[in-house]
Amino acid sequence: MVGRVRISKIKIDNFANFSEFEIETGDNLVVVGENKVGKSNLIFALQLILDPGLSERDRQLGLEHFWDGLGDHKLGAVIEIVIELTDFEDDPRLLAHLGDCIVDPGPPMVSRLTYRFQPKADLDGHPQSMADYEYILFGGLDPDNAMRPRLRRMLPIDVLAALRDAEKDLATWRHSPLRPLIEGLTAGLDEDDRAAIQEAVDTAQNTLAERDEVQSVAQIISDRLQEMVGPAHATPISLGITPTRIDALLRALRLLIDGGARGIADASLGTANLIFLALKSLELDRLVGEGERDHTFLAVEEPEAHLHPHVQRLVYRHFLAEPDDEADEDEDAEGEGNEDPASATRLTTILTTHSPHIASIAPLRSLVLLRRDGEGDRTVGFSTANTPLTEADEADLQRYIDVTRGELFFARGVILVEGDAERFLVPAFAEALDIPLDHRGISVCSVGGTNFGPYVRLLGPDGLSIPYVVLTDRDPVEAGPPLARGRVQKLLEIVEPGPVYDDLADAAIFRRGERHNIFVNTRTLEPELFGAGLARRMGEILKSELPLRRAGREAIDGWVAAPATVNVDRLLSLIERVGKGRFAQRLAAGATERRCPAYIRAALERIRDAVA
Amino acid sequence: MPLRSTSAAYLRHAGDLAGNPGQQAAYDSRGHCVVLAGPGSGKTKTLVLKLARILAEDVRAPRGVACITYSQECARELTRRLEALGLRDAPNLFVGTVHGFCLRHILTPYARLAGLAVPYPLTLATTRQTDSAFKQVAERLLGVGQPYKTHDMGKYRRIHLDRDAPDWESDPDLARITEGYEAALRRAGLIDFDDLVIFGNRLVSDHDWVLPAIQARWPVLAVDEYQDLGVPLHRIVERLAFDGGVRLFAVGDADQSVYGFAGADGALLLELAQRDDVEAVQLQLNYRSAGRIIRASELALGEARGYQPHDPGRQAVIEFTERPGGLEDQAAHVVENLIPAALAAKPGRTLGDIAILYRAASVGDVFADSLTAAGYDYIRVDNAAPYKKVGLTSWIEDCAAWCAGGWRTGRPQLAGLISRWTGFRSGRPDEREARRMALALTSFLSDHRADEGAAAPFVTAIRRALVDPLTASERSLADQREQVRRMSEALAEGGKLEGLDLKSLGGRDGSPTHVNLLTLHSAKGCEYDVVIMVGMDMGAMPWRRETENELRESRRLFYVGLTRARDAVHMLYSGWIPGRYGAQRLGRSPFVEELEERLVAAEEDE
Repeated sequence: MVGRVRISKIKIDNFANFSEFEIETGDNLVVVGENKVGKSNLIFALQLILDPGLSERDRQLGLEHFWDGLGDHKLGAVIEIVIELTDFEDDPRLLAHLGDCIVDPGPPMVSRLTYRFQPKADLDGHPQSMADYEYILFGGLDPDNAMRPRLRRMLPIDVLAALRDAEKDLATWRHSPLRPLIEGLTAGLDEDDRAAIQEAVDTAQNTLAERDEVQSVAQIISDRLQEMVGPAHATPISLGITPTRIDALLRALRLLIDGGARGIADASLGTANLIFLALKSLELDRLVGEGERDHTFLAVEEPEAHLHPHVQRLVYRHFLAEPDDEADEDEDAEGEGNEDPASATRLTTILTTHSPHIASIAPLRSLVLLRRDGEGDRTVGFSTANTPLTEADEADLQRYIDVTRGELFFARGVILVEGDAERFLVPAFAEALDIPLDHRGISVCSVGGTNFGPYVRLLGPDGLSIPYVVLTDRDPVEAGPPLARGRVQKLLEIVEPGPVYDDLADAAIFRRGERHNIFVNTRTLEPELFGAGLARRMGEILKSELPLRRAGREAIDGWVAAPATVNVDRLLSLIERVGKGRFAQRLAAGATERRCPAYIRAALERIRDAVA
Repeated sequence: MPLRSTSAAYLRHAGDLAGNPGQQAAYDSRGHCVVLAGPGSGKTKTLVLKLARILAEDVRAPRGVACITYSQECARELTRRLEALGLRDAPNLFVGTVHGFCLRHILTPYARLAGLAVPYPLTLATTRQTDSAFKQVAERLLGVGQPYKTHDMGKYRRIHLDRDAPDWESDPDLARITEGYEAALRRAGLIDFDDLVIFGNRLVSDHDWVLPAIQARWPVLAVDEYQDLGVPLHRIVERLAFDGGVRLFAVGDADQSVYGFAGADGALLLELAQRDDVEAVQLQLNYRSAGRIIRASELALGEARGYQPHDPGRQAVIEFTERPGGLEDQAAHVVENLIPAALAAKPGRTLGDIAILYRAASVGDVFADSLTAAGYDYIRVDNAAPYKKVGLTSWIEDCAAWCAGGWRTGRPQLAGLISRWTGFRSGRPDEREARRMALALTSFLSDHRADEGAAAPFVTAIRRALVDPLTASERSLADQREQVRRMSEALAEGGKLEGLDLKSLGGRDGSPTHVNLLTLHSAKGCEYDVVIMVGMDMGAMPWRRETENELRESRRLFYVGLTRARDAVHMLYSGWIPGRYGAQRLGRSPFVEELEERLVAAEEDE
């Protein structure tokens, strides 16, 4: 596939929440973060470089825009915002825009645009106020290489703000995204069509005006006039409609909903927003199609504000979709300096959200996570653009995240577990240990099996950098090492590549795993619980859930009396008959501090300390 | 509507090409095209219309057309013609010298990324700096009194581009001098004009990734006067066009190649024209000269070109006149007889329609003195001119033209003056800075509008208000500042141009009240009713002991002079030249001798 231009890196220094902020980014950007973490400021930073609608005054920042962490040293500091763009070299128009801003000839080529707000170049001494500041915008490495205004015009950022009034925008002709479509339609009508419509309208108007009822009303008015002032002073009166020109008619076209029954003003807020987005999307296609733009960065702030969750997901799937094949440039048309008009939907979508619904449909590579760093005085960013995931990993994660609605991205810590049993029980034990997970922003994620690798990569330092622990079963087998051995070793190879693990003893591997937040029990979860003091309760659940024969019930009672005698295989098969999830759900009520298996406790304490 | 920053005025003129198949073919070309354009064949008009068409139909900003010209003056003339078509200096139209193109669009954006060993920021050495670096290095290597001149090294550098090839050592002395000279410049953090093109060539030759970047920005490259542009540019053109997918539109005339001494080679143009992937177009119709002059010029060249006069009925004068009293005697003949006769011969003819052409600037001195003594004003273009035409001096002249009444007709256009002005800054100025500069210039010009007035105070004022502050901060303008200083000197008391008025400063090229006095080289591209070629004696035209190549070039130079004329050509000679030990009687120029013989023979045949 031919690449399309994308922002590959954003660096922000001393601006708003950001100090020495740097992220690498993928095709689209879905910026996820809590309120006030700086999502809108990140968009504004991009606007300082790319928004043609921003005035000089807007670009001349104030003291309030400096990073607060500078304290008393704001005056004298330099705000710098850098974006790097890449994947443009296959498109000659984009290459022409960005060709003299190249900082890396690649491949792929990388161009850089910089906004810098700094004390004036000719200033002697320390700046005294913002009046001593100026901004420069330049391409490449040389501050003298001023950015062309054309570049901003042809590759602009469009921002749909969080609390916009879609209904009002649709209602005013000047701002309405409907206007260009109607104007296009007006220009497209030929003379004959115009004449025909005009005639139909005139006829309809005349028909109305010539009706007897209408004429008689006119007569009544005329008569009264004559009575009042006499025939000399009375002007003859008739009722009619002033001729309507076709252009005025066309401009009077309004969006209707519900089969034409109601106007947009009667629509719900959600519908109005939806229509607004559809029109906006059409407008962007048109601008590119007509050569007024070569690419658009469309930033939509907090779309969740106005759309229903299921609609959110559908709409933003549309905006975040990968460009399809037919949208790619036909390279043959471009040669020897003869240009064809641009085609294709050239759009980079940038969303900010604190809605897991939208985060969950984001292509995995487009995620940008913003959160406060340890000291809480600056915002740090993490992105998945360059996380070392295989394609299979990616598909796996995408499926999972879609199902869990992306709650992972909002977690401050994650407990990765194998299945539903742990998903119910671990929070219960956490509660018992006075480590309330919700409070601390810790999520328990079931990976539905033992393939922890993709999650560990995603959460690790090359990904989202979210602290995590892994809970997994030892799974002993008759002959050879327990299954957990290979599992843990593979994870170690991810988190601490380098050492040769093959020669290490199982115990050594598990010890090492624990240092890297991977906790293993002594067998399998349920037998472990059985031995940890939950035997009686487990027996009762089984007996109440299953239609057991007498022999079965007695066997269970025997195990409960002497937990060491439990037949693990039979116990597990009984539990599976109940369903592990359901079983665990019922069992959760019995979780106490004393009964918490050691490996779960260790993991909970580890994650508690990590997010503290 | 797609945004077009172009005008459709070209369409009105394009109809004129219909009667001329060559011009039409060039105008219609879609791929690489080489236009072989004889003298007076309307090559500039064809080029200008083609550029306008490409801008309107083939490219859309930010992609554009770069048009490379031989000199700053040619660029200025093209710009003027484009302005007349409503095409302003748009950001996607570059018209300038090969040096300007290499600096601005090849080296500035890409040299550093390519790791080219040039000093940053790119700073051009002044003539003084290059001269002194050359002298020091050459004298250190070969001792005081060494035989080489800077232009010997210049030509050597331009011809021997590949330093690893064996022929780089073909003249070991020049190779050593060049290497030492370049090292000296680099130590001083400088590059010179030749470096721009040499490094430009190295960049596009060695770094494939630069090609698509240049092609994206400049999908079409036009080159005017291709025969004068030399090997480095030829290499760049070949690489961009045939490896990089840039579409080429080259115009030139190998017969008018007169810069071989500087490394140019007319054969390069013919080589291009013969390629299979290039459409070669010949312009055969001569709109300028009367038929007899066209025939004479082909006889002088010694080649049949088959050029046809546009107006076969026009009569022409070709006269051969011996003035045995030397150059002063020739000058007397010009002043007393030829000028008055020329003015009388055709109603409406002005002094500006008459040109005196010579080979060496020293000859110009003699004629300048005679003209002054006889009360004629003149415009002089040669090395001995009081100042050189460089970007800044040309711009000051055009500002003068605008103030002296040009503002009424928009000739030159204010917008063009402004964009040239902001273009003097080496970096690309940001919007606010550009606006500030534009405002300062506009208010200065509007305050200095004056139909009458002297040039000297104008130049003083524009220097104080605008030019000097700029040149003080722009190191790249150091050399041009020198020329501006000379301009002031010439206008000052006792200077060569003392008392010049504003209008004449603005009309330094082509004023109806001034006789044109210029070298044959400078006359390229110009045309006059009456051409007076003076000093046509053996030993000057050609010089004594010319090699065969030099002899061929001298003949082409003679041809260039002859083909400048519309109606009349006068050949003046004395039969001798002044030598160190008195007159050397070598006879008149063999070119003149030959021409007169052939002409007589040809016309007797008819």
